[in-house]
Amino acid sequence: MDMIGLYPTWYEPGIGSGWVIGIIATIHVLFSHVSVGAALFFAWLATVAYQQNKPELLEFIKKYGLFLLIFSYVLGSITGPGIWYSTTVGSPRGISALIHSFVWKWATEWVFFVIEVIGIYLIVYLVGRVDQRTHLRIAYIFGLSSLTTMLIIVGILSFMMWPGKEAWFVDGGYLNGFYGPNTFAQLAMRFAFMFSMTAVVGGIVAAGMKDYALKAYITRRLAILGIVATLAGAAMFQWYLSTLPEHAALIMENRLPAWFNTGILSILAGTLAYFVVTLIQPRVLVTSLASVMTVAIVVFGLWPEEVARESIRKPYVAGQYIYSNQVISRDVPGMGIKSEIPVLEEHGFLKTMAFLPDSQRTVTPQNAHEVGRSLAITACSNCHSLSETGIRPMKNYFGGNTDVAMIRSYLLGALATGNTLYMPKIPLKPDEAEALAVYLASLSDPTVAERYAREKSAVAAVAPAAVKE
Amino acid sequence: MDASTLYALRDAAGVPSHPVIFLILGVATWALHIAAVHVMLGASALTLWGAFSKDDLKRRLAATMLNTAKVSVSIAIVIGVAPLLFVQVIYDPFWYASNVLSAWWVIGFIVILILGYLAMYVFYYANKDLTAKKGVTCPGSMVISIALLLVVGFIMHVLTQQMLSPEKWVEWYAPNGVINASGQKIHDYNIWRFLFFISLSAPVTGAWLLAMRRYLQGKEAGEDANYLALLGSLAQKLAIIGGLVVVVFGALWMATLPEKAAGFALSPWVIVTAVALIGTVLLPTLLGKKLDTGFWGFAPFAVGAVALIILGTAREALRFTILYGVHGYNPLDYKIVMDWYSTILFFGTFAIIGGAALAYMLTVAWQVGQSKEKVYTPSPAVDKIGTVAIWLIVAWMVQFFAIGFYVWVR
Repeated sequence: MDMIGLYPTWYEPGIGSGWVIGIIATIHVLFSHVSVGAALFFAWLATVAYQQNKPELLEFIKKYGLFLLIFSYVLGSITGPGIWYSTTVGSPRGISALIHSFVWKWATEWVFFVIEVIGIYLIVYLVGRVDQRTHLRIAYIFGLSSLTTMLIIVGILSFMMWPGKEAWFVDGGYLNGFYGPNTFAQLAMRFAFMFSMTAVVGGIVAAGMKDYALKAYITRRLAILGIVATLAGAAMFQWYLSTLPEHAALIMENRLPAWFNTGILSILAGTLAYFVVTLIQPRVLVTSLASVMTVAIVVFGLWPEEVARESIRKPYVAGQYIYSNQVISRDVPGMGIKSEIPVLEEHGFLKTMAFLPDSQRTVTPQNAHEVGRSLAITACSNCHSLSETGIRPMKNYFGGNTDVAMIRSYLLGALATGNTLYMPKIPLKPDEAEALAVYLASLSDPTVAERYAREKSAVAAVAPAAVKE
Repeated sequence: MDASTLYALRDAAGVPSHPVIFLILGVATWALHIAAVHVMLGASALTLWGAFSKDDLKRRLAATMLNTAKVSVSIAIVIGVAPLLFVQVIYDPFWYASNVLSAWWVIGFIVILILGYLAMYVFYYANKDLTAKKGVTCPGSMVISIALLLVVGFIMHVLTQQMLSPEKWVEWYAPNGVINASGQKIHDYNIWRFLFFISLSAPVTGAWLLAMRRYLQGKEAGEDANYLALLGSLAQKLAIIGGLVVVVFGALWMATLPEKAAGFALSPWVIVTAVALIGTVLLPTLLGKKLDTGFWGFAPFAVGAVALIILGTAREALRFTILYGVHGYNPLDYKIVMDWYSTILFFGTFAIIGGAALAYMLTVAWQVGQSKEKVYTPSPAVDKIGTVAIWLIVAWMVQFFAIGFYVWVR
C-alpha cells in the first residue's frame, strides 16, 4: 500500500496550534515591520542631520537604534525563525510547500538579513566615530537591505494565500508563483502600515527624550509620517481587498466575525487621532501612551488582520493546493504534484497514514472511538479544537448531537464529498466515518464510546449464530 | 518506517536546484553558525569569570566579552537561519517528523531563547561598565542566560538526534497504540554528543581570544602588554585543556553511537575530524612567538573554522550513513524542478551584494577599532566599495520590480 505523506499532528488542546502560530506571527509582524520602517526612517533622519547640521538627531537614531536592538533584533530576529518553528510543528506540509518553492528566495533574504543585522550594530555604535558620509552610507545600506527583506517575504506570503499567476498551476516556475496582483497590493499595504508602526513605536523612544525641542521635532515628524502612512495604508488596504479572489471575498463576508470591519476602522481612526494629537501637542506624548498605542495596534490591528489572512485562504493552508489538514488536494502539473484525494477516496486514511499504529488500521467496535480520535486529530484538529477551548471547538458544531448514525451520515454526505463551503473535502471511507462519528458523539456524551462498543459487539456475536441457524 | 514511506513524506514540489548544493550550503553555514554559538557561550562564561574577579585586566576582559556575547547571539541567530532552511529542503521528512514529535519543546525553543537573550541584556544594563566598578550586579541574570542558552542548544540537539531514528517514530507518536499528539516529550538524546559540541566552545573561544589579541596589537595607539599577556595565556589554556575535554567527549559520543551506526566511529570521517580538531588546538603552541607576527595570530581561528567545516561534513556523513545506509533514504535523489532564475539570483546576491556590503561594513568596523583618530574616515577605495554596495542593492530592487511587473502584466 502506498502511503501519503501526512506527518504526525501536534494537537494543543488549550488554544490550538493555529493560535500559537498566529500569536508568534502577529508579534513578529510588529517587530519586523518596525525594523524595516525604522531603518528607512534612520536613513532619512541621518541625511537631514548631516545636510542641515543637526547632530542632535543622531542622538535619536542612537536611542531608537539601541531600543530596536532589543525590540526588533532580539525579539524580532527570534520570532522570525519562530514562525518557521511554529509552522513546522503546526503545519509541516504548509511550510514545506513554501520552503521547497522559495528556498532560494529565502536564502536571498538571509543575505540581506545578515547585512541588516551587522548594519544596525554599526549605525548605532559608530555614531560620532566615523565621518558623516561613512555613517550615511551605512545608514543607506542598512535601510535598503532591510527593505529588500520585506520585498521578498511579501511575495512568499502572497503565494501562501494565492499563487501569483494561475499559470503556476500549469507551468510551475518560481516567478509565476511569486508575482501577481496580490503581491504588489500587499507590498504597498505593508509598506505604508510599517511606517505607522514605526511612528508609534518611535514614540516610545521620543517620549523619553529630555530635550523638549528635540522631542517636539521628532514627535512631529513621527506624527506626520504616521498620518500619511495610515491614510496611505487604508487606501492600499482597499487595493489589497480588490485583488483577492471571489472565493476569499465571499469568506470575508460570511465567516469573519461581525466586529471585524468595525474593529479595523476603529483602530485606523484611533491611530490617526493619536498622531493628530501628538502633532498638535507633542507634550502629551509620554512613554506609557506610546506603549499602550503599540499594544492597541497589535491587539486591534495586527491580530485581526492575521486572523483574517488565515481565514480567507481556507480550506487551504498554502498555495491553494494543500488543505489545512495537510492533504494535497489538487494536481499541480507544473510542479509535478499529484492530488492525494483519489488515493484517499480509494483506500481511505487508515490504510495510507504513515503515522498510525497498526492496531488502528482496521476499525472494530472496540477501537472505533480511538480510531475516530486519531482521525479527528489528523483530519480536523488543525482547524477545530477537540477540547472545550481553542479554535472553533468541534463540539460546538454538532449541537450536542450524540447520534452516531446521524453524524456518520453528515460526514459521508457533506464532508467526504466536499460539499461544505470553507471546509476541505475529507474523503472518509464508511468505516472511518463511523469511527469518527463515535468520537464526535463522545465529545458531548463520554458514555457513547462504551455503549457503541457493547452494542456493536453484541450484534457481531449474534450475527454468526444467526448465520449458523 | 520503511524507505518508501520516508519518500512519501518528501515534499511533492521537489527542489529548485541539485540537492547536493543544499547539502554543501547546509554544512558550510552550519559551521559558521556553530562557531558563533561557541564564541557566544565562551564569551558568556568569560564574562562571569571576569566580572567576579578583582583583577582590573580580567574585568576589562569581562566587559569586552559581554559585548562579544551580545553580538554573538545575534550573529548565531541570523546565521543559524541558513542551516535551518537547508536542512528542511533535503531532510524534510526527518526534520518535520522530529519537530512535531516534540512540538512543545520546539515552541519552547523560541520562548527560552528570547528569555535567555533578554537575561543577557539585563546583566548588560546592570553592569554597563565592568571596568569602572568593583563588584558585579545581578550576576544571576547572566547565569540564567547561559543556562537558558544551553537549554535551547539541548533542544536543537534533541531534534537533530530524533531525526536519526525513524524506526521509533510511530512508537513515540503512539505509545502502546494510542496517539499522543501533545508533543510534550523529548524522545532521544545523546548527552556525550551534546557535551562534545558544547565543550568545543573552549578551544574556539581560545582561538577567538588569540585573534582578538592580534587585532589589539595592531592598534595605532598601542595596547597594554599585560592585557595582551592575559589574553595569550588564557587562550592557550582554553585551547589545550578545552581540546582535551573535547577529545574525551568526542570519544564517548563515538562509543555510544547506536548499534546501526557503530562502524562509523572508526571511519575516515572521524579520523580526519579528530586530526583537524587536535591540530587546531595544538596550533597556538606550535606557532609560539609567531602568533605575534603577520597574520599568524589569526591563524588558529581560521584553521578552527576549517576544522568546524570538516566536523560539519563528518556530522553530515553520519546522518547520511544512518539515513541512507540503514533506512534507504538518499537526500541526493530528490526530485529536481530546476528554477534557474531564483538559483542565479541567490548566488548573485550572495557573492556580489553580500560580498560588497559586508566587505565594506566589516572593513569600516575593523579600521575604526584600530584607528587612533577620534573620527575615522575610510580611504577612497573603501568608500567606493560602500557606494558600489548601495547601488548594487538599488539595482537589485529595480530588477525585482521590473521582472515583477513584467510577470504580472504578461
